[in-house]
Amino acid sequence: MLSVLRELYAYREMYKNMVKRNLRTRYKASFFGFLWTFINPLLQLVVYSVVFSTIMRMNIKNYPMFLFVVLLPWIFFANTTQEATGLIVSNNNIIKKVYFPREILPLASTTAGLVNLGLSFLIAFVALLLFRIPLTLSLAALPLVMILEFIFTLGVSLLVAAITVYFRDVEHIWGILMMAWFYLTPIVYPLNVAPGKYLKYLFLNPMVTLTEAYRDILYYGVFPYFPGLGVFALMSCFVLVFGYLVFRRLSKGFAEQV
Amino acid sequence: MDCVIEAADVWKMFRLYHDRAPTLKEQVLFSHRRKYDELWVLKGVDLKVEKGRTLGLIGQNGSGKSTFLKLLTRIIYPDRGNVKIKGKVSSLLELGAGFHPDFSGLENIYMNAAIFGLTKKEIDRRLEEIIDFSELEEFIDSPVRTYSSGMYMRLAFSIAINVDPDILLVDEILAVGDEGFQKKCFNKMKSFKSQGATIVIVSHSLGQLEMLCDELAWLHEGVLLEQGVPADVIGKYRTEVFAAEDRRAETKSRLQAEHVREEATPDPERNSLDDPEEGDIPIEITPPKRRGNGSVEITGVAFMDRSGRGKTRFESGEPCVIEMRCHKHKPVDNLVFGIAIYRNDDLWCYGTNTLIDRQPTDVQIMGDGIVVRVNIAKLNLVEGEYYLNVACSDGLATEYDYLVRCLDFTVYSQIKDVGVCRLEHRWEISGLNDRGAAVAAER
Repeated sequence: MLSVLRELYAYREMYKNMVKRNLRTRYKASFFGFLWTFINPLLQLVVYSVVFSTIMRMNIKNYPMFLFVVLLPWIFFANTTQEATGLIVSNNNIIKKVYFPREILPLASTTAGLVNLGLSFLIAFVALLLFRIPLTLSLAALPLVMILEFIFTLGVSLLVAAITVYFRDVEHIWGILMMAWFYLTPIVYPLNVAPGKYLKYLFLNPMVTLTEAYRDILYYGVFPYFPGLGVFALMSCFVLVFGYLVFRRLSKGFAEQV
Repeated sequence: MDCVIEAADVWKMFRLYHDRAPTLKEQVLFSHRRKYDELWVLKGVDLKVEKGRTLGLIGQNGSGKSTFLKLLTRIIYPDRGNVKIKGKVSSLLELGAGFHPDFSGLENIYMNAAIFGLTKKEIDRRLEEIIDFSELEEFIDSPVRTYSSGMYMRLAFSIAINVDPDILLVDEILAVGDEGFQKKCFNKMKSFKSQGATIVIVSHSLGQLEMLCDELAWLHEGVLLEQGVPADVIGKYRTEVFAAEDRRAETKSRLQAEHVREEATPDPERNSLDDPEEGDIPIEITPPKRRGNGSVEITGVAFMDRSGRGKTRFESGEPCVIEMRCHKHKPVDNLVFGIAIYRNDDLWCYGTNTLIDRQPTDVQIMGDGIVVRVNIAKLNLVEGEYYLNVACSDGLATEYDYLVRCLDFTVYSQIKDVGVCRLEHRWEISGLNDRGAAVAAER
């Protein structure tokens, strides 16, 4: 385990470069370039605001913000894991040519996603102020929640990245799975609309705890429910270790499979 | 001794898929059906390389040497056994890994060197050297997609060779850039060697290997046959490879001779021997192109050394004999035998016939039994691949039998002179210093 960390540390320059490249190439050759990182969530917010304040009126105060503050973390999770399904295959040119710790790829892509999330939150803060939703001391818990989401996302990414190399169907299955997962998580609806008898099952979904934590911090301005987060943290670490072990085992065959 | 590379009983298998479709559905539904053949490329290779040594890997195509090199890079892993490596490995197997066409040469240097495991500080320190070596100073800020393929390779090579690895893996000493650049690469490798780096090279160029390597390993069909001093291993390898080639060629020429002989009485209108031989001959031979009216038929051709042993590999300058056996079907007025040697790119190197050489050919007997021999005192062709045409005609317009490319042969040489043939020569240079003159006199 220690030797693995040491090796990753030795390859830190590659990791940094991959993160940078991931962030930069995303909008490469477009007119606004890196600005899209901000424009993208901004435009999404504009659409939600228009739709939910004129066409489909919701019975929730400041519904666009209610949605927006948890949609951003969801997009981080969904995009990163979806990207992970094609990560090894699309990097076949380096996988087949050089040795490097393969974990760098999911690690860099998840980090880039986290950076993106952080930048999107800057837009969210401005928007919250515009909607006159106060930013409170609870913001102090935001980095913690983001780090927990990072750990969970990294674990899932490692897992799907490795498995997709051997079963390419996972890439498509994952898309459907993410859609189902999206609606099983209280993102567009508040948790309390779910019928009481299903509520406890809903909490089997780790993303519920996470979503509620984000909403507590940003929308309601209160500290999240820490015992719940503790359970989530334990589970995330388990997912990370499991994902890593699977990845490590399968990575030896990557060069021959892609 | 301190071994930096240790391969212990390494086995590697590749799957040759008949029809590769590894979707989940097929994996589940047809899991019992094997859709591939197993091909064992390495069968228990044990190999150690000590620190600072240069090892050359030789072997024919498909012997597993490139696979072995890939195992050393840790891109692929053995199915059985294990490979232990100590130190930083850089390979010149696949260059330009991870180059991004939209980024500048400079940015790509940082990216590519980082993939080799260098830190920013280490890259900064080597940056100047890398750019210098690549000779791309003016273009280093342009995107790599604007580079020519030569520039691209030069940049990639400069990075790979300047990461100062402990172990350098090389597949075929590279044909990158012009002669000057190649020389630079060669020198760089030598300086590596003197700095105590370990190098493993795969190559078919035995001469280069002999110059660079401390030891050679010979792989044959996935098994390590020999490891030792270059001269010894090369000697054994040459003997074996040439013997195998001669065996193959002998079978082929025998089959060709039989083929010619077994032809039924020639049809005067015949232009070529199109139909391939039926029967249980396992090797498919393309019959030589053939023309002529068949009054005299060439039934067999052989290329031999002086002792009469059939050969298809000759050392430049070696004595040899070309033998033709003919069958005279009809009486003819004039009979002229001829030979012609072509290089494999169809350059006509030499040709002669009995008419040119004023050699009498009044053969009285009919039927089988005419043997024509051309004794060549010195086969002064330079190294290369050649083929032979033979013919007999009336010396004017009528061809009795003309065989195009009836035999292929190879000429090899220690002397790497160029052109078509070797002219007997001697150098004389005036104004040499005494020692030079003494050396010249000794020769």
